[in-house]
Amino acid sequence: MLILEAIIDGIRDIKDHFGRTLLQLVGIILGVGSIVATFSLSTAGKEASMKYYRVSGGIERIWIGNKQSSKVTQDAKAKASQGLTYADAMAVRAEAKEIDLVSPVSDSQMTIRYGGKESQRSVMGVTPAYSPISFFKVEHGRFITDADLMGAARVAVLGTTRAAEFFGSDNPVGKTIFIDGAGYLVVGVMEEKYFSFDQKRNALRWMNRQMYIPITTMMTRKGEPLKQGRISFMHARMKDVSRHKDAVAELERILFRQHHTKDYEVFSRVANLARNESENKMYDMTFMICGLISLLVGGIVVMNIQLASFNERVREIGTRKAVGAAPVQIFFQMLTESLLVSFFGGIIGLFVGKLFTNGISMLTRNPAVVTPGTIINALIFAAGTGLIFGMYPAIRASRLNPIDALRVE
Amino acid sequence: MSAVFKFHEWTGSAPEKPTAESAGKKLIQLEHVRKVYDSGENAVTALDGIDLKIDRGEFVSIIGPSGSGKSTLMHILGCLDTPSEGRYWLDGEDVATLSARALAKIRNQKLGFVFQTFNLLPRATIWKNAELPLLYAGIDSDERKARAMAALERVGLANRAKHRPSEISGGQRQRVAVARALVNNPAVILADEPTGNLDQKTGGEIIRLFEELAAGGQTIILVTHDPAIAKRTQRRIRIVDGLIADGEEMD
Repeated sequence: MLILEAIIDGIRDIKDHFGRTLLQLVGIILGVGSIVATFSLSTAGKEASMKYYRVSGGIERIWIGNKQSSKVTQDAKAKASQGLTYADAMAVRAEAKEIDLVSPVSDSQMTIRYGGKESQRSVMGVTPAYSPISFFKVEHGRFITDADLMGAARVAVLGTTRAAEFFGSDNPVGKTIFIDGAGYLVVGVMEEKYFSFDQKRNALRWMNRQMYIPITTMMTRKGEPLKQGRISFMHARMKDVSRHKDAVAELERILFRQHHTKDYEVFSRVANLARNESENKMYDMTFMICGLISLLVGGIVVMNIQLASFNERVREIGTRKAVGAAPVQIFFQMLTESLLVSFFGGIIGLFVGKLFTNGISMLTRNPAVVTPGTIINALIFAAGTGLIFGMYPAIRASRLNPIDALRVE
Repeated sequence: MSAVFKFHEWTGSAPEKPTAESAGKKLIQLEHVRKVYDSGENAVTALDGIDLKIDRGEFVSIIGPSGSGKSTLMHILGCLDTPSEGRYWLDGEDVATLSARALAKIRNQKLGFVFQTFNLLPRATIWKNAELPLLYAGIDSDERKARAMAALERVGLANRAKHRPSEISGGQRQRVAVARALVNNPAVILADEPTGNLDQKTGGEIIRLFEELAAGGQTIILVTHDPAIAKRTQRRIRIVDGLIADGEEMD
């Protein structure tokens, strides 16, 4: 209840000297502010990439593409290899134990014509696995099937942008569209994909802008031999994210055996995420250190002001001691005051941090979220500062000799 | 004898509980109390062997010129300071060698202080000021308030409880200080020049208040340099050069 009294006293102090208290707290406010901003931006950044992955195939997806070799002198093996082929995808599907889904893609710019409209558009030759591996569902009709694949059927599935471009508000399913002069039956329209990091630009816009045909059909149109046909890239899905290194190693092993040279690249999203995280840690650390230095300076200011207020109140402390306040009671009273003032600074710092966060978020177009965890962390930092730097003034006050204190005019 | 007490001081042994030795002691009993500041070459002897007994219910004044040691005696009586030598029995307890914390507790429970400069907390209300000793005694707020109001009632200021010290007169402030001294039912009230900052009329009123309290059985020790005020107490103790020059006892 003594602490309660001290808290009431402290609140009255803040109220009576509001301007002075604010000045005193600038360091703590800025310190807490930058800590809040750091936490908010880094958690939000991580969350945003997690979310992006979650709507576009998950962190379990691996991308395998052709590596562009700039070497003038390639060895015979490299020359012999033709880059990624459909056979590679088949080999991975047959052998890789850590992989449960493989989706080879062969894409191309083709001339699309329907009614009076004609334009060059991107077309992707895919297998049925493309839809589940990308978390990409059909909205109307159906996706490419195994039967389409086997028969190299001339069927097409449209992204929403293409559906709108060529068919407006009409239902494209059942209509015939011309790709490089050949008629394809439109069997489905995909769902519309949307994800934005900055609430402005759709990061998944490219998915809506695709058209899909069976990969076998694409090979035939390109004049590639079916089994040995070259592909643009493939996706593979790992069974267990915790064994992502094994999955990548296994893929590399199979592909190297197929190619005898490393003319391909394997990117796992899990590894990418970890790499980003360690890169971001550098920025986070820099910000955190700025915040901590600010808090340190803020703490010294609080200590200084507490010492000044202690000198102002020597008589008061002497009186309290004369009427029976034990040293430890004075100690806790003074400490409570520093703690309270710093905590108050922490709360203002939260608002300043929110402003920082919004400002940085707007300038850099990075997402930012102030989470409850961040708020608690920041307040702990602020209160901790008060506790550490309030210690010395509190000890001085507790050791004050009441006779000397009462003698002061 | 004194070697024993020095040993006592040196070991800093625990406070003695009331024992057979304390039986038969007066409320306040000083035995050969000495106070020496700055031991060594520049040693100043403020008190040079004080023997003093004050009984329950006495209204005593301590008088003497400045530098006589009366302030030092006041500090020792008030448990704000400890003697270099000698013993001090207060209400059956030997308090001469207590720790700072134990002394704080004695001040809190057995003593009430009235200072020349009132020493009220400027930012706290009258009743918050009056209940201050109870706060440190750990008494809950309802009881604190009730007792503070009762003490303010006794000094005639219950109607000013919500005011701040800056909003009342000097005489009223000193009354609040008296209420604060009374609030813990102390064995002794110590008043150090309580009228020093007041005009004659208000000062007289404060002494009148002390007389009333003394008539009610309250033990009061009043330090003053004003012979007129000292005359109004039942017993006068004159200190000169750290010794009691004159301190007639009541029968």
